[in-house]
Amino acid sequence: MSSSATLRTGGHPPTPGRVAVELVVNGVPLAASLDPRRSLLDLLREQLGLTGAKKGCDHGQCGACTVHVDGRRVASCLTPAVQAHGRQVLTIEGLSPAGSPLHPMQQAFIDHDALQCGYCTPGQIMAAVACVAEGHATSPEQIREYMSGNLCRCGAYVGIVAAIEDAAMKMAATTMATAGRSAEMPEARHAAV
Amino acid sequence: MNMMPFADLARVDAHDKVRGAVAFAADDARPNLAYGAFAVATIGKGRLASLDVAAAEAADGVRLVLTHANIGAVASAGFIMGGGYGFQSHQPLISPEIAYRGEPIALVVADSLEAATHAAALVRATYETAPFAVELDAPGVEVVDQAETPLAHFIPPVAAGDADAAYARAPVQIDARFASAPQHQNPIELIACVAEWQAGRLVIHEGTQNAEAVRHGLAAALGLDAGLIDVVSPFVGGGFGQKNSLQGHTVLAAEAARRLARPVKIVVPRAQLYHLASFRPANRHHVRLGADRSGRMLAAIHEAQAQTSRHDLFPGEYATTSARLYGIADFRGKDELLRTDAQTPGYMRAPFEHIACFAFESCVDELAYALGIDPVALRLANDTTVDAVTGRPLSSRHVGQCLERGAAMFGWERRSMAPGSMRAEDGGLIGWGVAIGTYAGLRAPAIAKLKLTDDGRVEIRVGVHEMGQGVRTALAAVLARKLGIAPEHIVAIIGDTRAAPQHLTAGSWGTATAIPVVEAAADALLARLAELAPGGVSNREPAQILRAAGLPELAVEVQGKAPGQPDAIYDRLKAGLPSIGGPVYPEFVTYSYIAHFVEVRVEATTRRVRVPRVVSVADCGRVVSPRTAASQVRGGVVWGIGAALREASEVDPRYGGFLNADLAEYALPVNADIGAIEVAFVDEPDTRFNSAGVKGLGEVSMAGVAAAIANAIHHATGKRLRELPIRIEDVL
Amino acid sequence: MQPFDYVRATSVADAVRAFGAAGPDTRLLAGGTTLYDLMKLGVETPAHVIDVNGLRELETIDTSQPDELVFGALARMSDVAADPVIAGEYPALAESLWRAASQQLRNMASVGGNLLQRTRCAYFRGGEPFACNKRAPGSGCAAQEGIDRGHALFGGSEACIAVYPGDWAVALAAFEAQVDVEGPHGPRSLAIEALHVEPGRTPDVETTLAPGEIIVRIRVPKTPLGRASTYHKIRDRESYAFALVSVAAALRMEGDMVAEARLALGGVATRPWRVRAAEAVLRGQPFTPALARRAGEAALSGARPGRMNAFKVELGIRAVADALSIARQRG
Repeated sequence: MSSSATLRTGGHPPTPGRVAVELVVNGVPLAASLDPRRSLLDLLREQLGLTGAKKGCDHGQCGACTVHVDGRRVASCLTPAVQAHGRQVLTIEGLSPAGSPLHPMQQAFIDHDALQCGYCTPGQIMAAVACVAEGHATSPEQIREYMSGNLCRCGAYVGIVAAIEDAAMKMAATTMATAGRSAEMPEARHAAV
Repeated sequence: MNMMPFADLARVDAHDKVRGAVAFAADDARPNLAYGAFAVATIGKGRLASLDVAAAEAADGVRLVLTHANIGAVASAGFIMGGGYGFQSHQPLISPEIAYRGEPIALVVADSLEAATHAAALVRATYETAPFAVELDAPGVEVVDQAETPLAHFIPPVAAGDADAAYARAPVQIDARFASAPQHQNPIELIACVAEWQAGRLVIHEGTQNAEAVRHGLAAALGLDAGLIDVVSPFVGGGFGQKNSLQGHTVLAAEAARRLARPVKIVVPRAQLYHLASFRPANRHHVRLGADRSGRMLAAIHEAQAQTSRHDLFPGEYATTSARLYGIADFRGKDELLRTDAQTPGYMRAPFEHIACFAFESCVDELAYALGIDPVALRLANDTTVDAVTGRPLSSRHVGQCLERGAAMFGWERRSMAPGSMRAEDGGLIGWGVAIGTYAGLRAPAIAKLKLTDDGRVEIRVGVHEMGQGVRTALAAVLARKLGIAPEHIVAIIGDTRAAPQHLTAGSWGTATAIPVVEAAADALLARLAELAPGGVSNREPAQILRAAGLPELAVEVQGKAPGQPDAIYDRLKAGLPSIGGPVYPEFVTYSYIAHFVEVRVEATTRRVRVPRVVSVADCGRVVSPRTAASQVRGGVVWGIGAALREASEVDPRYGGFLNADLAEYALPVNADIGAIEVAFVDEPDTRFNSAGVKGLGEVSMAGVAAAIANAIHHATGKRLRELPIRIEDVL
Repeated sequence: MQPFDYVRATSVADAVRAFGAAGPDTRLLAGGTTLYDLMKLGVETPAHVIDVNGLRELETIDTSQPDELVFGALARMSDVAADPVIAGEYPALAESLWRAASQQLRNMASVGGNLLQRTRCAYFRGGEPFACNKRAPGSGCAAQEGIDRGHALFGGSEACIAVYPGDWAVALAAFEAQVDVEGPHGPRSLAIEALHVEPGRTPDVETTLAPGEIIVRIRVPKTPLGRASTYHKIRDRESYAFALVSVAAALRMEGDMVAEARLALGGVATRPWRVRAAEAVLRGQPFTPALARRAGEAALSGARPGRMNAFKVELGIRAVADALSIARQRG
């Protein structure tokens, strides 16, 4: 991983430069030339049209923007998009692409009515999927702790905990059935953005 | 009426919501959007002496900088509680006057969000400052008696019997003062708007609870014909009162879009919306409650003071709520408003009821302890079937059932009365508290347009907004049952001024407003189908009948309003003005009720207060959507926990405005704060109130929670805490 | 956000060279959870940003060394918290990490960058119009007569009473960690307690790092104090909040006697606050709740509360006592 940009040590104030970034979003490789100020969240939402991840605070204080980067949940609002260079990003849109069945976590959120307005929901679900994968969904207390980075102002927390407990069991079964599938590389197709 | 309980239908929009496929206003990501960002005032009050936007205008990507100097003929749309359409009458940017810290002084519009935000930071202002007051006791605060204002016309002060004399005679007297910090609604959806002009029409995409007021308010502010404006708000990412009327940013977005001939998107940063929208005002209360030695409540006096702004009178309705908790014959209420230099405060979930019930139900608990009577028994003994304020019958009241069922579910009989008498194994203190809550049964006019097409699709257009309360699910539930079709064949077009007049959805009147009218529309449709099928309609789906009759579609339109409202109310509805009926109707009075039972654990040493368990039983009339209704109640309980133990908007009197303007320092409850919340419903229809038998739920869910928590803390610790939020230092 | 110049460093040497050459308005970008946050607020306005996230050699977590735990500066908080050796043998370290922020932020934030987390003081973060000597030297300190519920009892000055907000550095202080840095003048190592400075008259200066220096490694001496330890954090909510008071406590017991104790406080001081006087109260004494309370009183003695934070003295005393009891149960 190296940068084609060079460090300019003089010339303050600098003119805004663009930075070349390559990343994979929901399995699709993308190349972009980005304003380094742009957050991963704003890249996803305003540039790629992936508006599932939401802006609730823009400062890492609410969790509505949660996506996975290289399989780990992060706050995309506090991630400069240029930092996603060389990384795999998964958003709610990639969790169960249109036409495919819902992820067990999504189904569990429906079954337990773990949402109301739906605004924080994509972030909750991305966090919840990671919470299970991390092994942090072994008890209601642990789920509450490890889901506390996702605020729900409607107050659906009871349903969220129930949904995660439910989905964790189903995900354990699914993981065993499909082990190895996630290692498949996406088709090497570049889309300029 | 079909008396079978409604089915446990899954939330009809949940499938899209769990896929992130629901489009909120800010999810508009089309090319060619321009982005707006605000520069805001940094003084507590005064006037702009100079405003330098040269650097902002010269910045890369900037297309427009709007200020008072170039805004042109933009006007205030007026205050919603003063005959207008806005959350306040003060429209930023139309004059150099600064009413409070944080109000916008410039709107920068640029090709990218980054460019707009950066350029907004380059705006430089100098000010002539003026003295200001932001705390209730600050010099310069003006006290206004609400009874001497025009507000008294629609919220008359409570005056039943001779409360002062009856209180003076009462053998047992409780006299206590309560207070609450200001709070902010903080839905997770930021305030956001996309404004665009399409062939001379202005289209606004915005999460709002009141699309019609946004529409007519924009017409008033911009001098446009409302017929040229459409407001589209199919999904709101949480409202809680914050989005109940026109906000200043929408006017500015529309004006910017007009000038640039390009759609403009504004997403207000979290820090700025502490000042660009309303909030729950600071408030305080003096409650006196008199009873006889058997526990019969004889008299009560509730005097409230609440913050308002210099430019508007935000009405207080505290005493009118506490007067409805019990059948107290002699009751006097007084509401005073304190003018401060802030934006106009406004409605925030259970805006008055939460705090009125906190104050009054805390006093009732004190009365129980003064008399040594079980708090549930005391409440049951003071139940009523008549509204003591008006003498009219209550259309329904099942609060006794709420208390009895809740007590059984909670295991209340295992409670020992003495404070500090229940201990956990870890040495912590256990407290069990109870309180009831009430909320007015309100209804607004609505027009429902129902259309059946021969492919089996049913389309309903009606005035109501979906903000998470589940009204889409309720609409589907009643239509599916009435028409005998699957919920997935029902499409609801709501929150859209193009579909039907959109009255403000708030105050828990959404269901009672929309559902009876939609049911009536379904009945009308069935009647038309019966005419088309002389052989009978049994065992035939509506679309089959339609196809057999050779018709491509069948449409009906039905309107409905609150009991006693004149037909002219539909004109107000169409004009985007609040048109609410109730809770006092010609023949009866309607309220919803709830009983909350709360367990707190107070840590023995550092005294952290935890709420592991709540049981809530609600009387909201007919429950048409059991699953979303239960979620509403749980949400209300979470709100009560937040309001009681967490949330306060901090005010530094030297600077004005609010200090802790983010989600790290303004503590909303997190998942780890919430334990078990068990919910049940009386589920008795109130058919005097409306044909569907439904009453409101979302607001009453929160009313009384804070009191139950405070009463539980008293039970655990012996401490009476009368100021919210209750924090660790209060219990230490 | 002000425009800035962005480069990715490809090696530590590259980063040191670039950092040294770029001048004072340069910042290193690791997890970004503090820097990018403050850039969005306009509080940090670097002209140059050097992204060090590509330096994979700094991501190591090595618990296999005989004498010390070694954490590369870019190891992520969540990974260190989940390390079985850390979680099992040094619970105070693990708890100081997983009780901070949220899992999302812990997946992003590095253990080196976290040491340099900046204060949450609202007058600092809020920008104009608030007086703040840390953000705008010479402008004053609005917190002194303001809303100071979250402000420091210890280590404040007339110029600044902002609390150091981190948890990890507090736990590291209790375990006498070393911080390795690389800079224009070569590598050096300093005690964690020598990293942060009190505000004094220059609250904008928060550490002893020289211009161009980069934290590359944190080393924690292995100690029998590790197992009987805890990081006890009292907050305004149960999770995802900064500390009102936090306590890193570690004990080495010999029977019922405290052979050795370590105590450090968070949430109440302008820097991680080791309390040696309180440790001395415990040393050589049989452990009792009363002794734990006395240690708490010693730890909080000399506190200088402001208008709204006096409660943190008693809260702190009780939190210390509770932390010691938890640690005692683990040893």
